[in-house]
Amino acid sequence: MKSINKIWFSVFLAAISFFSYSQTSAATEGSVDLDAVMRTMLVLTIIVILAVLWLAIVYSEKNDNEGDDFLRPIRLVTNYLTRLQPMEKEKDLLFHHDFDGIRELDNRIPPWFNFLFYGTIIWAVIYLFVFHVFDDGQIQSKEYLAEVKQAGLEREILIKTGAFINEESVTLLKDAATLSEGKDIFAKNCVTCHTADGGGLVGPNLTDEYWINGGGIKNVFKTIKNGVPAKGMISWQTQLDSKKMQAVASYVLSLQGTKPANPKAPEGTKWGEPKADSTAAAVKS
Amino acid sequence: MQLEKFSYDNQIVKQFMLAAVIFAVVGMLVGLIIAIQLYIPELNLGLQYITFGRIRPLHTNAVIFAFVGNIIFGGVYYSLQRVMKARMFSDFLSQFHFWGWQLIIVAAAVSLPLGITTSKEYAELEWPIDLAIAVIWLAFGTNMLGTIIKRREEHIYVAAWFYIATFVTITVLHVVNSIELPVGMFKSYSVYAGVQDALVQWWYGHNAVAFFLTTPYLGLMYYFLPKAANRPVYSYRLSILHFWALIFLYIWAGPHHLLYSSLPDWAQSLGTVFSIMLIAPSWGGMLNGLLTLRGAWDRVRDNPILKFMVVAVTAYGMSTFEGPMMSLKNVNAISHFTDWTVGHAHIGALGWNGLMSFGILYWLIPKMWGTELFSKKLANLHFWVATLGIVFYAIPMYWSGIAQALMWKQFTPLGVLQYPNFLETTLQILPMHVIRSFGGFLYFLGMFLLIYNLLATAKQGSFIKNEEAEASPIEKATDKIKRGMFHRWLEKRPVKFALLALVVILIGGAVQIIPMLAIDSNIPTIASIKPYTPLELQGRDIYIREGCVSCHSQLVRPFRSETERYGEYTKAGEGVYEHPFLWGSKRTGPDLQREGGKYGNLWHFLHMEDPRSMSPGSIMPRYPWLYTQTLDVSTTKTKINAMRSLGVPYAEGYEEIAEQDLLKQADAITKDLLNNGAPAESDKEIIALISYLQRLGTDIKGNKAAGK
Repeated sequence: MKSINKIWFSVFLAAISFFSYSQTSAATEGSVDLDAVMRTMLVLTIIVILAVLWLAIVYSEKNDNEGDDFLRPIRLVTNYLTRLQPMEKEKDLLFHHDFDGIRELDNRIPPWFNFLFYGTIIWAVIYLFVFHVFDDGQIQSKEYLAEVKQAGLEREILIKTGAFINEESVTLLKDAATLSEGKDIFAKNCVTCHTADGGGLVGPNLTDEYWINGGGIKNVFKTIKNGVPAKGMISWQTQLDSKKMQAVASYVLSLQGTKPANPKAPEGTKWGEPKADSTAAAVKS
Repeated sequence: MQLEKFSYDNQIVKQFMLAAVIFAVVGMLVGLIIAIQLYIPELNLGLQYITFGRIRPLHTNAVIFAFVGNIIFGGVYYSLQRVMKARMFSDFLSQFHFWGWQLIIVAAAVSLPLGITTSKEYAELEWPIDLAIAVIWLAFGTNMLGTIIKRREEHIYVAAWFYIATFVTITVLHVVNSIELPVGMFKSYSVYAGVQDALVQWWYGHNAVAFFLTTPYLGLMYYFLPKAANRPVYSYRLSILHFWALIFLYIWAGPHHLLYSSLPDWAQSLGTVFSIMLIAPSWGGMLNGLLTLRGAWDRVRDNPILKFMVVAVTAYGMSTFEGPMMSLKNVNAISHFTDWTVGHAHIGALGWNGLMSFGILYWLIPKMWGTELFSKKLANLHFWVATLGIVFYAIPMYWSGIAQALMWKQFTPLGVLQYPNFLETTLQILPMHVIRSFGGFLYFLGMFLLIYNLLATAKQGSFIKNEEAEASPIEKATDKIKRGMFHRWLEKRPVKFALLALVVILIGGAVQIIPMLAIDSNIPTIASIKPYTPLELQGRDIYIREGCVSCHSQLVRPFRSETERYGEYTKAGEGVYEHPFLWGSKRTGPDLQREGGKYGNLWHFLHMEDPRSMSPGSIMPRYPWLYTQTLDVSTTKTKINAMRSLGVPYAEGYEEIAEQDLLKQADAITKDLLNNGAPAESDKEIIALISYLQRLGTDIKGNKAAGK
């Protein structure tokens, strides 16, 4: 039986060393991606499975593990942590009194319980000291500001690289791919108020030449981006990235002149031709 | 010494247990209905009285106070008499307690569907019922302490320690949290506002879990588990340590329900650290339960009663570890407002309270009818059906909770929300809700196995109404406190014991609540926060009546993912006129703190009539009755006066012109609706609700919204 234990133990050790090796090699490549996380999870799972198997074998009823070299340290630790008294000694621990037949034992509190209890108390004291004595206790507002600052820095980089478009740099796109993406975004977000064909319901008709907040790609982009809270048009800039807003703005403008089923009456002012030219010019440039 | 003859009152135990089983069926059925409404909103059959927001509190009240409550009382009346060797102090008080409590439950079952609610979780019942609860609870306490005082047993057994702590603590919690100003027979406003109300409410709410669902059940465990296993309690010393540590530490942990809210950081940190310190004392109960079974594990295999109890105690151990983990801020940032919390709560409710109750019932009914359990096989089947039900309930809840939280937080590489449309995250988890309701259905089904088995058991035996007993009286204790024997000394003195328990449980609440009420710097003033207009105030009361707070939070947490989605995070100063606070604890729908001005009036008008017209796929119920019911404006004056006496600065004499103001604002909204093509009647409730929704969070939206 001993030999079986040893075999399992070596398999166990080998597994640990193999997986820890594969872990370090993954780490040196510097790939902190989902794969690494998955691999770690896998390693941990396998370690747990092996450990359970090992314990199952050494603790199996058929396995007489008295005096087993591997188990002695474990048993020592377990005994130290639990201080379980053998069942035969139980009668010495019984209080004489009973309550409606219920007796009580004078077992000592398991040491591991005390470690846990006093450990959490120490942890609590440290926690309070770290945040409220050594620091000023403004935990969550600081956390929030740091998070927002970090996001701001990342956003700046995106703007510099041109990944981010604003109402100054936006251009009208007419390619099929953009318009079809715009159509999808429109269908998902806009149709409840503007209806599927752009005829308008809660929101205004988008197919006529009349615009409440100005027509043309720049104005439409700006309206989508900032919204018009007073009129119920919400701001989309936290929900759609700038390329998506460009796509949907382009799609909206592609609806100009179509004939919706139930068009809402025109609202706003007629958007003049000359400015439409400048939009076209912007596309060329 | 002379033996005295007396008898134990089993009749009262029978009554409570019968009521418990009946209300368990009702409470679980309501739970099942609302679980299905979360994916088939039409299941309210178009009736306001059985719509989610109104009957969700009915479910929680029914299972906590009716099912678990009656099990507690029945179990206490059975075990207390026996460990004290005395009949209950007064048969009249026992019956008064029983009928009073059932009447309260019926009052709850009628008033909650009618929309009569304070909206404070687990304390929804309105002030007349609150008063009745106080009276009945004191009757129970008097009866219990009276029994303990006239006992024939020198020492008080550990089970009764827990009963005593339960009584004193629930008394304090109920009184402090229910201080409210009536504005009519069925309506009141909490005297606390905003963050103060939140702290008091969750001090109460958390400790309702602690002292209604936990300590009395630990007491029951200390009686029924050793009885059923016929084994001695493992460690008396552990009983002492975990009892006092538990009741002292528990009371501090309430703020963990308010992490990342506008509650000051110091109070949040106290909530976190005290929750972590609670792990060991909670596990003390589990340990003493499980180790009591030492040497009896072979019997667990073929004794269904022990099976129920073992899994119950294990579920208790799991949820009391999970709870502290969820109190860590980084875990709470994910778990809060999601189904994870619902899963956690149900491990406790279905596992610990439910299974323990079933174990007690299967043990108790044969005992009181002087017979054996009718069918062990059926009890075993019940055990497996119930356990499987819990598994099918809990796992999908964890899955959906974590999935939805991660979706809420996910940004694209370009730095915008990946799932900006809240509804998308809702639709993602609907399959999990379907599985969850199947789990609940299984558990519910198990109840009928229990009922059949217990009825058959009762039929084959005959009920022992009064169980004869004899014991000798005790002499008055005169011993001195000896070193190391303090607790032995204390156990003979129930009144001192109760007073000491009272002091121990008062400390935590006092340290947190008094500074929050007294020190202004905890709630920095915001000048732009103004009281609600009369119409908005009426709209807010409709929001409360319909239980919107069950699904919609009004608390934007200081995370970028939330401020991007909803707007500026919630500040403590925003809540100073919020009687009661409406932060909510669950986001089945999106947060509404910054809803004001986000959409036009028309959007809300169409959305409340049929949410799916504006948000295809939405699982929100329709509210057609708001369009036909006329707003009751006769209460406006009383409400303005009440709010003023709570410190809301309405000008002197404003109540006289409040109704005029209300009508004016209603007309303006109606006119706007008409201009947008929706003819509406200005005196209907929907107009008030729209005015409230449009006001939400606008006071500090600052210059952006002020531009209109």
